[in-house]
Amino acid sequence: MRNERRRFTLLALTLALALLLAACGGQPQPPATGGGTGGGAPSGGPPIKIGAIFDLTGATADVGTPYSKGQIAFIDWKNANGGVAGRQLQLISQDYAYEVPRAEELYTQFVTQDGVVVFSGWGTGDTEALKGKISEDKIPFISASYSASLANPAETPYNFLVAPTYSDQMIIAMKWALDDWKAKGKSGLPKFAYLINDSPFGRSPLADGTAFAQANGIETPLEVPSPRGATDLTPQLTQIRDYGANYVFLQNVSSPAALAIKNAKSLRLDVQFVCMNWCANELLIKLAGADAEGVVGAVPFSPEGEGARVALNFAKEKGIDYGGADSTFVQGWTAMSILVAGIERTLKDGKELTGENIKNTLETMGPIDTGGVTPPVVFSTTDHAGAKALRMFRVENGKWVAITDFISAR
Amino acid sequence: MQSGTFHTSYASDMAMRPFWIQRLRIALVLIALLAFPWFADRYWLNLANTIAIAAIGAIGLNILVGYTGQISIGHGGFLAVGAYTAGLMAVRLDMPMWITIPVASCFTALVGAFFGLPSVRLKGLYLAIATLAAQEIIIWLLTHGKLLGIGESLSLPRAANNLFGLPLSALGNNDFAFYWITVGFLILTVIFVSNLFRSRTGRAFVAIRDQDIAAQVIGVDLFRYKLLAFAASSFFAGLAGALTAHYRGIISWERFTIDTSILFLAMIIIGGLGSVSGSIYGAAFMTLLPALLSNLARAISGLVPDINTYLPYIQQGAFGLAIILFLIFEPEGIVKMWRNVKDYFRLWPFSY
Amino acid sequence: MEKFVQLTLSGIANGAIFALVALGFVLIYKSSDVINFAQGELLLIGAYLTYTTVEMIGLWWPLGVIVAVLLAAIIGVLIEQLVLRPLIGEPVISVIMVTIGLSSLLRAIIGGIWGVTPRTAPQFLPRDTITLFGASVGVDRLWAFALALTLFVLLTLFFRYSREGIAVRAVADDQQAALSMGISVKKVWAVAWAIAAITASVGGILLMSIFGGVSGQIARVGLLVFPVVILGGLDSVPGAIVGGLIIGLLQSFAGGYLPPELGMGEVVPFIILLLILLIRPYGLFGQRIIERV
Repeated sequence: MRNERRRFTLLALTLALALLLAACGGQPQPPATGGGTGGGAPSGGPPIKIGAIFDLTGATADVGTPYSKGQIAFIDWKNANGGVAGRQLQLISQDYAYEVPRAEELYTQFVTQDGVVVFSGWGTGDTEALKGKISEDKIPFISASYSASLANPAETPYNFLVAPTYSDQMIIAMKWALDDWKAKGKSGLPKFAYLINDSPFGRSPLADGTAFAQANGIETPLEVPSPRGATDLTPQLTQIRDYGANYVFLQNVSSPAALAIKNAKSLRLDVQFVCMNWCANELLIKLAGADAEGVVGAVPFSPEGEGARVALNFAKEKGIDYGGADSTFVQGWTAMSILVAGIERTLKDGKELTGENIKNTLETMGPIDTGGVTPPVVFSTTDHAGAKALRMFRVENGKWVAITDFISAR
Repeated sequence: MQSGTFHTSYASDMAMRPFWIQRLRIALVLIALLAFPWFADRYWLNLANTIAIAAIGAIGLNILVGYTGQISIGHGGFLAVGAYTAGLMAVRLDMPMWITIPVASCFTALVGAFFGLPSVRLKGLYLAIATLAAQEIIIWLLTHGKLLGIGESLSLPRAANNLFGLPLSALGNNDFAFYWITVGFLILTVIFVSNLFRSRTGRAFVAIRDQDIAAQVIGVDLFRYKLLAFAASSFFAGLAGALTAHYRGIISWERFTIDTSILFLAMIIIGGLGSVSGSIYGAAFMTLLPALLSNLARAISGLVPDINTYLPYIQQGAFGLAIILFLIFEPEGIVKMWRNVKDYFRLWPFSY
Repeated sequence: MEKFVQLTLSGIANGAIFALVALGFVLIYKSSDVINFAQGELLLIGAYLTYTTVEMIGLWWPLGVIVAVLLAAIIGVLIEQLVLRPLIGEPVISVIMVTIGLSSLLRAIIGGIWGVTPRTAPQFLPRDTITLFGASVGVDRLWAFALALTLFVLLTLFFRYSREGIAVRAVADDQQAALSMGISVKKVWAVAWAIAAITASVGGILLMSIFGGVSGQIARVGLLVFPVVILGGLDSVPGAIVGGLIIGLLQSFAGGYLPPELGMGEVVPFIILLLILLIRPYGLFGQRIIERV
């Protein structure tokens, strides 16, 4: 009896000690980055701190992981190439498993205790949750959520979009579809359908897409949500077949999109699938296999530009394993490079490195070159949608190949 | 060393904390709570607020699961109802928080009572699964919220954060100001629920947990008390949800999924079923665990460089491992561990 | 008419997979009163182990599958010994929570070992499409259905004619009586978990070929187990089969006939679940539990 009680007392004391460690650990510590080169001795001044949260174990970890590797790789590459104005970049990052409360905790920790000047988020959940705080704290913020509501500086002055909004992506894809229809020599107008993720993310581009379609005389596209966790999308596809759609726009992540494509093949359904950016990646090809041939995708971060080559070569050199997801790796790399370009320019202009100054710099510095991965990214004081064009790609022989140049949404 | 209790008046017999050492402990805790926000930075205030709100929700769940023995995996859904009710009132009707919070809590209590109807016919596992279905249905309603006009997220106007007209921002920054609100509500909740279980209703709940058929035999109206348990539990869930909505300023469905329900269940099991202080310990433990692990990893990243690639998995695994270890080694939770510590000092040099 | 046939075929093919996943669940519940929230993760383990043996080690695929399934069975038994055994006699809530904790822990371990990037599934089921009764159906789904059916028949025979099978049924019926007859209840539990792991692995492998890759997506099917087993009856093997088929068909028809914007496909099984619980909680084939005070 006594031993048992002793054991549990010991456990209780260990618990108390552990909580104490948490208290001590709350002080700023050396950065927690995975892999990569250690930063060299700071020569031009104190390190520049950048905060980031990644999804490495949660619902979107399959794309969150290569994205995170791209971001970390860019920082390492930049540091190895002289840093920014002689100062090293320090990335302070953590996995938050797509749990919004954890994202908020980490954000508060990085801002108050580590003193980061800019922040890189990930998903719609955390971007939405933090958009008020970053305005209060004056922290410029980029993420992988391309919702149109983040582009208006009057509402969200510190959010910056580095890719076309989901709405713009849909419009560009529809533009391509119309051109493709005419190029195939078909008369009349095509019919469109959406096969979307059953969530606000999935519904995000629909209103604007439908408006564009209607403005071009096309019938209101059929909206078909695909239930999360579905093992078979045949019922949804029969609805699309009955409707007679010619082009099906997939606003979804790769796994359900791949399932839809495979089911459509089984059903012998003759449609052209057009993927939006979250399924237009290598993961889709991996999952759908041979059935992915001919699928077209809107790829905001083209893995065919010079900037992409630099990124991919660096990855090869350092042996970074991102699971073959070239375009997602490049996405993370390029997004971080845009943020850092703002920092670099702020320092070059001789301004103090504060969030507000970085934001002003981003708005006024003019086009940022990403080496052909995206069109030159330009922000303004009235518009934070930095990129409004992308290239359409098609899966040919198991790889994404560009089939157009940059198409703009306006 | 204690040697018996000798009360000389009804008042002292009925007191919640009759012994001076208990009162001393409470006084010390209150002093610590009052002093804390003046010394803590935003990060710690944020954590404290999170823990306080989670504790309120956990106490609510404990009423249902720990005291009344009705298993519920739908707590996340009730938090959502509270949060969105408060949010919609603030956004659509421009109501300030001193109206939205009570109204949201009461409304959630009604919703909870409604979803508690199956408990009259179902027990144990079947009830758990029914609450699981309720959780999924509530989330479905939120993600298909076109009817309610809910888009990706709901933003509450800052102006709503005022108490009878006095804006909270007058007290300081958001985290500091809200500390007083959340801890204040937590203290009220603790007092209310502790007294609930010294009352007739509370005893009825416990009777239902222990042997509901026997309880019915001695005259406890099962229907009424089971629904009351659901309502009480959901009231506090709604309170926690409404506080979250006003504190965070933005809410979305991702905060209230089944993982949230499971997190709350973990809190009360690790903290101690059927104990108010256990709920608080559990809430603190589950909230601090990921933070503790990441800070620990940062501290030792110099010695074990690869720790950061595995940290996410360690954090995810720690959650499951904590639950399993506590259930195997100390099923009565942290509160039992604390009781063991107290007993050791109280009964020394004897062991029992 | 053609659409109806199409939807029916898809529904049955899906239902067979749900039934397979539910089967293991029912077995564990039947023999040890444990609700296994980690069933989805058992699916994942089977799929990942097969990926390892066939893709990473390069075994010939039937051999790889057998090795993987056997390994999964061993893991199932280990789980039972290490995690469930200490919790005998604890209240239901504890047992539910421990399997929930287990599912989280298993996810973390799987992620730590194999990473979260989806891996391409070894293609050993034929991928073409054939026409049946005027509707197109993938051959891989037909194989899935056939395999599921074979497993059911084997298990039914096992339970009816083999010694261990009868022992499992005896323990499920009345633990005390079985103990007094000399049946080793501990051995029965190990057998039950092993079989559950085997059926889950087969289900995981089938899902892997349907999804085209092995990733966490597979485990999400685990949540759908609940409507199936409640419909069929928590402790009934034929119930799991019938329940699986019905839920598969309902999902199919809801997705195919209801206006798509409503997105009912996702929530229909849970509404059914609630209705059944309110009207007939023991499901179609479950046994009424008579509580004695």
